[in-house]
Amino acid sequence: MTALLLRRLLVVPPVLLAASVLVFALPRMVGVDPARAVLRARTAEAVPDPATEARVRAELGLDAPAVEQYLRWLGALLRGDLGHGYVSQNPVAAEVGSAAAVSGLLTVLALALAAVLGVPAGAYAARRPGGRLDRFLGAGTIAGVAVPEFVLAPCLVLVFAVGLGVLPAVGWGDPAHLVLPVLVLAAYPAALAAQLVRAETAGVLARPHVLLARAKGLGEHAVLWRHGARLATTSVTALAGMFVSGLLGGAVVVEVVFGIPGLGRTLHRAVEAQDLPVVQAGTLLVVAVAVLAGVLVEVLATALDPVQRGAERAR
Amino acid sequence: MSVSSGAAHGRRPPVTRPRTGRTPPRAVAAAGVVLVVLTFLVICPLLVADPDRADFAGLLAGPSAGHPLGTDQLGRDLLARLVHGGRLTIGLSLFAVLVTGAAGVSVGMAAAATGAFGRVVMRFVDVLAAIPVVLFGLVAAVALGPGAASLLVAVTAIAWTPFARQAYLLTLAERDREYVTAAVSLGAGPVRVLAGHVGRNVLPPLAAHACVRFASTLLTVSGLSFLGLGVQPPTAEWGAMVAEGREYLFTAPHVVLVPSVAVVLTAGTALWCGRRWERAGAR
Repeated sequence: MTALLLRRLLVVPPVLLAASVLVFALPRMVGVDPARAVLRARTAEAVPDPATEARVRAELGLDAPAVEQYLRWLGALLRGDLGHGYVSQNPVAAEVGSAAAVSGLLTVLALALAAVLGVPAGAYAARRPGGRLDRFLGAGTIAGVAVPEFVLAPCLVLVFAVGLGVLPAVGWGDPAHLVLPVLVLAAYPAALAAQLVRAETAGVLARPHVLLARAKGLGEHAVLWRHGARLATTSVTALAGMFVSGLLGGAVVVEVVFGIPGLGRTLHRAVEAQDLPVVQAGTLLVVAVAVLAGVLVEVLATALDPVQRGAERAR
Repeated sequence: MSVSSGAAHGRRPPVTRPRTGRTPPRAVAAAGVVLVVLTFLVICPLLVADPDRADFAGLLAGPSAGHPLGTDQLGRDLLARLVHGGRLTIGLSLFAVLVTGAAGVSVGMAAAATGAFGRVVMRFVDVLAAIPVVLFGLVAAVALGPGAASLLVAVTAIAWTPFARQAYLLTLAERDREYVTAAVSLGAGPVRVLAGHVGRNVLPPLAAHACVRFASTLLTVSGLSFLGLGVQPPTAEWGAMVAEGREYLFTAPHVVLVPSVAVVLTAGTALWCGRRWERAGAR
């Protein structure tokens, strides 16, 4: 298993290197001028003073050739120094780090809720394909995917914050602030998990070994969980891996709507202000998490699946 | 037809359908729905009023004879904006799905046909597939400035990877079947085998996948526009319309409701078609 992990990890450095080149070069290639962005952020002048612009350019090392700038940035990055934001002027590492912690908490909670809701729903629906629960769940999973976050979030705010007044609409810092965002974030992964577990479990339950298990008198509960839904473990793990990065850096809508200081909103603000160091660091972090989660999940899936495990051992 | 004889016996007759079978009537109905929506979007923009004309006499008005869906905060006709916005939202999503579908399926099928090299390619595809699309939306918005162009980059740059993975798995499953061996032994070249023989069998499930991808692309397009990273006001786009109307959520909820319902219904229909199609193929 360690060999497999190491082999898979080989993919990570080239991808991250390519991503670092992209996030560095792309904005500059199409004419985003970091010095102008800084000036726009720090002064209110429409036309910047050329002398000031030159000074800022030299101060930030922007007068060097692009390749040198990139290498200097990459070198600092590898030493753990992400520099300072152009706009906020805070250390980027601290800004992105604290935002990532907030988003990480949301991600973990949303994934846990999605698993708790989605997996049993899918398994029970699979007991009777075409039955009432199955059809209900089928409609529910379509709704879970089709209702976007920017529609679901205001709806929940209208009901729970405005109508019933039991939960806060926006803000951060109190456990009550977590409820609505986590609900919104969990809807999509829960729907997909339910769909996946339902499809896989229904497939397994139709197989002869399940008939044998029933014939020898195994209870319905044991048949469903030990023989049926258990086989969906690997694909649910894979699904969770896909969602880690999506929730960590991709929950922009939810974080903006609920006013949560997470990575998504930080990136969104940095993009609007053209604060390149923050955009670069945040994007690379999400890509790194995405890539690592992908690798880990794949290795985990191999470890969990006896067939693949055997194949791996035989290599 | 088989349906009536089945009803006479009280259960479905044991007809073995061909695996790649004919498209069942319900899928045809679903495709019909999509067609109607598309015609609606092509023809209606010619019939409704100008989506940008402001009518300051009736701001945030409810439905009336002149404005069947009411007006927004600038007195613009919501029906006109819905139709024009839908043309943009659906058009962009459709275009993105066609492009990413063609690219992804080519990569996936080619990778499945080339063995070890293909496995390495798919390793990278797997990695790319894990990157959230919204991230590309953010980066593209910085690079190109927010607009339809950055939106299009965001929903095509890595969105071909799910197609590639699906096509890869489907092609792998078909590769060692007898008809492929037969075609090869009859002297068919790799391109002919892939495009002509294997392609025929992997395309129906991929079409079902395309419906699902269309729904998620639509949600991304409108989501990015909602965030101000896509189509810019005053251009009508469903997500942008929701964002513009959000301030008036309590006083005039119909401004938000109209585009929201449109997004949910369109995405939901596409998902439903995809599921029907998928189940029809699996039977």
